[in-house]
Amino acid sequence: MESKKELSYVNTQPADRVKKSTLTKMIWRSTMLQASFNYERMQSAGWLWAMLPGLEEIHQNKEDLATSMTHNMDFINTHPFAVTFVMGIVLSMEQMKADIQTIRSVRISVAAPLGGIGDALFWYTLVPITAGLCANMAISGSVLGPILYFLILFGCEMALRYGLMYASYNLGMKAVSMMTEYAQEFTHAASVLGVFIVGALIANYGGGTALGIVIQNGESPIVVQSYLNMILPCLLPLLITFLMFWLIKKKGWTPVKCIGLILLIGIVGAMFGIWKGSYTPLFPVPWTIG
Amino acid sequence: MNVVEIVLLAVVTFFFAIDQFSLTEIAYRPIIACPIIGLILGDVQTGLVIGGTYELMMIGNMPVGGAQPPNAVLGSIVAMIFAIKANMDINAALGACMIFATFGQYVVTLTFTIMSGLMVKADAAAEAGNPDGITQVNIISCCILGALFALIAVIAYVGGIAMSGVLQSLADNASWFMGGLSAAGGMMRFVGFAILLKIMLANDMWGFLLAGFAAALVIGNIEAISSACLLLVAFAGVAIAVNDFRVSGIQKQAAEGGFSDGI
Repeated sequence: MESKKELSYVNTQPADRVKKSTLTKMIWRSTMLQASFNYERMQSAGWLWAMLPGLEEIHQNKEDLATSMTHNMDFINTHPFAVTFVMGIVLSMEQMKADIQTIRSVRISVAAPLGGIGDALFWYTLVPITAGLCANMAISGSVLGPILYFLILFGCEMALRYGLMYASYNLGMKAVSMMTEYAQEFTHAASVLGVFIVGALIANYGGGTALGIVIQNGESPIVVQSYLNMILPCLLPLLITFLMFWLIKKKGWTPVKCIGLILLIGIVGAMFGIWKGSYTPLFPVPWTIG
Repeated sequence: MNVVEIVLLAVVTFFFAIDQFSLTEIAYRPIIACPIIGLILGDVQTGLVIGGTYELMMIGNMPVGGAQPPNAVLGSIVAMIFAIKANMDINAALGACMIFATFGQYVVTLTFTIMSGLMVKADAAAEAGNPDGITQVNIISCCILGALFALIAVIAYVGGIAMSGVLQSLADNASWFMGGLSAAGGMMRFVGFAILLKIMLANDMWGFLLAGFAAALVIGNIEAISSACLLLVAFAGVAIAVNDFRVSGIQKQAAEGGFSDGI
């Protein structure tokens, strides 16, 4: 990845509207969003794969396609069914050749909150209700139970994917054409939103990173993490993000080098029972893991 | 021991392993997976009963928000093997399968960690504008996950209950390693955040980063609204961004219009 050069498209002429068949292809490809799910970028490679039919149609120029693919490898995590909503908006921005930094900021800002809404709707509402309905049918020996379960949930899932893709693509086309006059200002505002959301993600996704050291002290064991929380909750996630930012931006570290460092910190820490979790440290330590 | 059963079992396990995160994301659920495995092992009725029971157990134990509960795919497959091949009763089979489900969770953690390394390959393909490279990365990832799951299912089929003890002692001895891996897994997303910030974070924006962090902390710790945390933060963020847009728009107009417009 270039260190200093800002990414931008060579051909800034808006492309034609993406064909209906391409949109359909993207909707079906979106089912593989989590194919390469990983802890660093989460859904990014699956996201890019789902976007590719549209991107290839929009960026006929090979160089622009490479640029677009590069920034579509950013960290992304959203709801796997509602993802087409993000896809439609990003696709419309790509088509209008919007400023790349704006696309990046809008993508993460739309993607992140969708995850929570999707989970609440699907996993906490629709799935339990459907399961309650169908599980008893299955237990009493009816094959209809699993079949009904699949039809209801898969039907809702695909309807959601289709509906959101078209709705957001059309919405995006309207919004993007309105903002061209103030493109630079819009980029700044979008970055503000993006940075704000990333700050929220650090707190929202970072809670798992905590110290597990509990020093036995009779009636009142000393939980080291709770002292850290008194300074600032989620202090460690914030500090580690800053460390990674500094290593990447100032020291020119590659992401994979950062991953290596984190693996080392994680495993060595667990050898001595520093991190929170349910495990037994390799070396005996005078505290318990909580 | 039946080779056809083993091959079919490996194939469907491979499919379910991928399906739990991609494809339909429905077919892997116990209520569907168990009857299908029952069909392979020759007892659909037991599959329906175990599937329905397991499905009800899973309500409230959903794979959301990056959390990894004991793995339902291996749980259902192994419970089926124990119930049909070892003639265990249904509750005993569901209990005995849990160590395999825990191993499934380990495999998922391991795969998600390995796949972080493969992002280099995806980045290189993206920079070269090579769509096939992205396809390959996704296929490799699916194969790693599917193959590891299929392997554990075959071990459970061939080794039966005897394997439980072996896996249990393995799990005990390697627990520090898995603990470290999941601690590291929890931290790897910070690298993803740092890559995003590298592009977006101009020097005048640090305050917004901290404000977003603070907003999520506050909302996330209020139980009544914490599940809508990111959405609520996004609402506040939109207001801030719209204001930023307005202010810089006024600045631009002022700069263009000089002093003639007055203040």
